[in-house]
Amino acid sequence: MTDTERASSAADRLNILHLFPRTLGMNGENGNVEILVRRAESRGVSVSVKRYEDGDSLPASVDLVFIGSGPVSAQLETYAWLPVVAPPLRALAAHGVPFLAVGAGFQLLGRSVTLVDGTELTGAGVFPVTTVVGGERVVGDFVVSSPKLGTLVGFENRGSSVSIGDATPLGSVVYGRGNLPALGPGASAGAAAVAASGANADGTVLVAPDDRAEGFWVGNLIGTHLHGPVLANNPALADWLLEAALARRGETLPAAPADLVEIDRRAAKARETIASAPLSE
Amino acid sequence: MRGGGSAIPGTVALRIAPRFLEDTISAIPRGVVAISGSNGKSTTTNMLAAILREHGLKVFTNPSGGNLPQGIASSVLSQVSLGGKLDADIAILEVDEGYGPRLAKLLKPRTVLLLNIQIDQLNRYHEPDRVVRMLEQVAMTSTTSLILNRDDNHLVDMDRRIPGDREVSFFGASPELIAGAAHGVASADRFGDAHAEVGAREAAVTVTDLGDSQAVLAVDGHDIAVRLPARGLHYALDAAGATATARSVMGAAFRPGLVTAALNGLSTVYGRGELLQVAGESIEIIMMKNPASLQLNLDSLGSTPEQVFMAVDEGTPDPSWIYDIDFSSLSHVDVITGSKAWQFAVRLGYADIPVGSVDLDVRAALKRFLALPRPANGRKTMILNYEQMMGIRKILGFKELEGGGQA
Repeated sequence: MTDTERASSAADRLNILHLFPRTLGMNGENGNVEILVRRAESRGVSVSVKRYEDGDSLPASVDLVFIGSGPVSAQLETYAWLPVVAPPLRALAAHGVPFLAVGAGFQLLGRSVTLVDGTELTGAGVFPVTTVVGGERVVGDFVVSSPKLGTLVGFENRGSSVSIGDATPLGSVVYGRGNLPALGPGASAGAAAVAASGANADGTVLVAPDDRAEGFWVGNLIGTHLHGPVLANNPALADWLLEAALARRGETLPAAPADLVEIDRRAAKARETIASAPLSE
Repeated sequence: MRGGGSAIPGTVALRIAPRFLEDTISAIPRGVVAISGSNGKSTTTNMLAAILREHGLKVFTNPSGGNLPQGIASSVLSQVSLGGKLDADIAILEVDEGYGPRLAKLLKPRTVLLLNIQIDQLNRYHEPDRVVRMLEQVAMTSTTSLILNRDDNHLVDMDRRIPGDREVSFFGASPELIAGAAHGVASADRFGDAHAEVGAREAAVTVTDLGDSQAVLAVDGHDIAVRLPARGLHYALDAAGATATARSVMGAAFRPGLVTAALNGLSTVYGRGELLQVAGESIEIIMMKNPASLQLNLDSLGSTPEQVFMAVDEGTPDPSWIYDIDFSSLSHVDVITGSKAWQFAVRLGYADIPVGSVDLDVRAALKRFLALPRPANGRKTMILNYEQMMGIRKILGFKELEGGGQA
């Protein structure tokens, strides 16, 4: 559906702002929005999606913000538009609007992104995190244990590290690397992935192996490098975002109808398959 | 010993005599043509070899899929004489993008043909920009001529971005055909720099018409009809790339009419538009190597398939991209198998495409699918990733290297 078809009454609808879908749309990221829309509409909640491209004005009413991943070249192209959207995005975050930010989009909404050549990009400052591109490339299945949502699974494919300071992560890493390189005895999957990537990981021991953490989750702000796309394998996360968006309007998310129950059964099988035998490159 | 999977002899030879590959190849009188790109390498290599053979050349080539150093060395071993010479006028070698820079330096190709740069195996290549840089390095090694796809976002002006002097020619399709394709040519997006618009270059060979498994190519004022391995603009572009390369290699001796004869006589490369005959039924194989190949093959389906089988395993470690695929040409999927089956079942659920059953046991799933009543149009459809395609061909009793015959 186009923006205009959905434009009847912004107040009656759940308004999703999809940031930079053209540049930050790798790894099936559009699927996250498709999934949010489907999971809301199946329950009778109308949705309006504003796809925000370069230089458009932001919609007045926003209930949920999504930004996806992309290559560094796309990140650089997107960066030019960041100053336009940064102040309104920070205001939305301050008002408790839920955000899901993945990969390069998560990095750009942070405080800064330092590129391989040392150039520092100033981020939108929505998330209090900093990113350093380079170091090693980790590629493989990704299993994260979230205190709130249980096992989250997906795919990890990153060549950067994110520092979230003392903030709460999305969860602890069961398989994969997570925000920061962890090496040494017990780093298992992370170390295997580093070795397999052929990178030299000297001097990259930033956290103890047991402290590997993934992403950021403070209040209604969620950032991660889980692909899959992340909401495909983890419907609980999608529903949490919808609930948070509706709660701000004093509404609740209706129970899942049969079609979603079936999709969720399949997603549970997908999580089980990945978590039982995760692999790295 | 021959075969798509038999890289072992090549591995051994390279270990014993590291220079064996380059020494043998460099003795070939008309040198090497290297073919690379995200999709269509095997098909195009097959086509170009046929066109040059039709022109009377003795061609050495690597069988489909054997595009890594060990695979190429194995191909050489299987055809080399006792004196260490290949009985060939020219070598046409399909080169893997990832190994392209290294291989190209080794093989010193006179001619390089680059087909396309599409989103492909991000688990291996991380991002398309890296593939662009790798293929730039391959292009730079060409000493005589470079053939590029003018309808590709990154290839349209690659000649202007690399140093060195060589003859450059282009192939492409008419703007009408590209606009008429449901998802265009699925070229990877290009960000961040000003560049020539796709299609802006004069093409030596242009696809001007497209039918059901056939196309018309315009070459130097001639219209030539060619048969394609299956439906689809992407196959027509492969034929145009092969023809443009043959034109460049043969120079004044190039005869457009021989292209028709060569492509009419081709068998398909396995898994690329191949039709297998199993117990009196036709099974159409659609390979889903990456988003572009799956989307373009789905777009090229003549009608909604009556019976559909899907098998995807760890050969596709990160299937996130299936959310970028428009599956609307499918009305349902009967059976899904492979370790990624549940992820596909979730995707199809969100796309509102009914799924019959999911079974991670490939043999059991295959048995169930083959037991379905014969479809009215006599054709069953299988959508497979490369690894499952190889495995399932074997299970079905197809052990030969090239498509067609039953072992």
